[in-house]
Amino acid sequence: MKDATPTLLLSMSAPPYWHCGRTVFKRSIDQLIALLPAAAMAVVNWGLPALRVMCLAMAVCVAVEAICCWAMDRKSTIDDFTAVVAGLLYAFMLPAGAPWWIVVIGAVSAMLFGKMLFGGHGNNPLCTPLIGWAVLFISFPVHMDPNIVQTATSFIDPLARLKYFGVAEANAIPVLDLLLGHQINALGAGQVGALLLGGIYLLVRGQIRWQIVIGVLIGAGFPFAYLQMTDPAANASAVFHMCSGSILLCAFFMATEPCTAPAVSAGMLCYGLTCGLMMFVIRHFGSYSDGAPFAVLVTSLLSPYFDMIRPKPFGVK
Amino acid sequence: MTLMQEFTKGLWKEMPPFRLVLGLCPTLAVTTSAENGIGMGVAVVFVLTLSNILVSMMRHIIPKAVRIACFIVIAASLVVSLELLMQAYVYSLYEKLGIFVPLIVVNCIILGRAEAFAAKNGVAASIADGLGIGLGFTMALTFLGSLREILGNGTWFGMNLFGDAFEPFQIMVKAPGAFICLGLILAGMNCINRWQAHRTGTEPVSIGCQACGASCKSCQLQMAMPEDAKKGV
Repeated sequence: MKDATPTLLLSMSAPPYWHCGRTVFKRSIDQLIALLPAAAMAVVNWGLPALRVMCLAMAVCVAVEAICCWAMDRKSTIDDFTAVVAGLLYAFMLPAGAPWWIVVIGAVSAMLFGKMLFGGHGNNPLCTPLIGWAVLFISFPVHMDPNIVQTATSFIDPLARLKYFGVAEANAIPVLDLLLGHQINALGAGQVGALLLGGIYLLVRGQIRWQIVIGVLIGAGFPFAYLQMTDPAANASAVFHMCSGSILLCAFFMATEPCTAPAVSAGMLCYGLTCGLMMFVIRHFGSYSDGAPFAVLVTSLLSPYFDMIRPKPFGVK
Repeated sequence: MTLMQEFTKGLWKEMPPFRLVLGLCPTLAVTTSAENGIGMGVAVVFVLTLSNILVSMMRHIIPKAVRIACFIVIAASLVVSLELLMQAYVYSLYEKLGIFVPLIVVNCIILGRAEAFAAKNGVAASIADGLGIGLGFTMALTFLGSLREILGNGTWFGMNLFGDAFEPFQIMVKAPGAFICLGLILAGMNCINRWQAHRTGTEPVSIGCQACGASCKSCQLQMAMPEDAKKGV
């Protein structure tokens, strides 16, 4: 009787049983490749000071993550390179001439308050680099204003020109200059053409979702285009707005961070549109000349609500 | 508990903003400087002690059904008199604290101590409790205010600490700084408690329902829940 039941070898393990091969590490490498042209353009346009800020920011971010992992008694997560990406993105928001202590304070706040205190990558409710930027922007407005820090340059600040010299002056700036990064801006956020290239690379590689990017660009671009159509003498073009400030950097690299963005397509589109609209509202009606980072921060807080927009499960009436 | 124990429990074990996490509105809003913190704290000590005395004296007269309204009336009368006193003697402080002086009426600590302690205990114990909790609140606010003022302004009680080369970390005196500081202090106190418990080999001190005193259904409900439901699984 006993021999009649064959012995079955059943191996038990927790799902998922299938993996597509995507890892956080690969995503980070793709992001770094996408950021490379902008970093190169930053060095071309601003010289070695830009390289100094980027290196310092990345080094501090990695060090803080390593120290936090050690203090929290966890396996070190620095080998997934998310800290390097966060450091580089954070450096992109700083002016090239930022003093070293500002870079360090911002990088430490970004990693502590934006990431490690919440439990590391994936648990952060807000975009890590933007936390560091926001802390600095509120604390040291003078040192964070590229217009004040970058005095020895022949470039112009498009947003300041729009604000203080009027629309005609702003529209006179050639778009090619803006695309090549010949503008006073944060060191990476100003390299618009290179960022566009990197962003398209990420889209092609499937590391970021087009729904968010298109949502942001439409949400911010459409109101500006509409305003310019109704009254061309009083409003700058949508292309000018896209190529100034940090809208492109935020659209391609900040708003698309997977742990702060919603998880489903419809939600992503709504999230992107809201984010873009917030950028338009802050820039057009607010006192800040560039509202993009704040718009991303605020909209990230809403993403749990966008996550409620769910597709109907298959087979449910 | 002796009178001394009633007094000292407010200084660490049941320190209002950090351990009971009560009265957070003034804690976050007025602590932009150490001076504001101490001013607010003294105002609360005044109202809390007198309200504890009055509530304790009238605890047999006040009908149970309308006790909250009665406590509020007592606290409101005291706050109005405090407001008039501040306008007469420390007008500049009154101006600085602004709306948060009248808001002491709805401060959770006043109502919480009246409900949880003064309505059940004698006058002497209530005075000790009011003074202790009030002093704990003052200390907490002064500490938080000092921290924010030193980091965010480079001064302490108006004294310049670091010289002119210091760049103030301004976010600390703005609204986000209050939340960041409070969160870090709460984490620090939990850390100290855990370390103490580890050293003495006991369970970490949790204030729990004993200090709360209110008979809220939600607590009993939580206790009745199975262990993993509490964790939100």
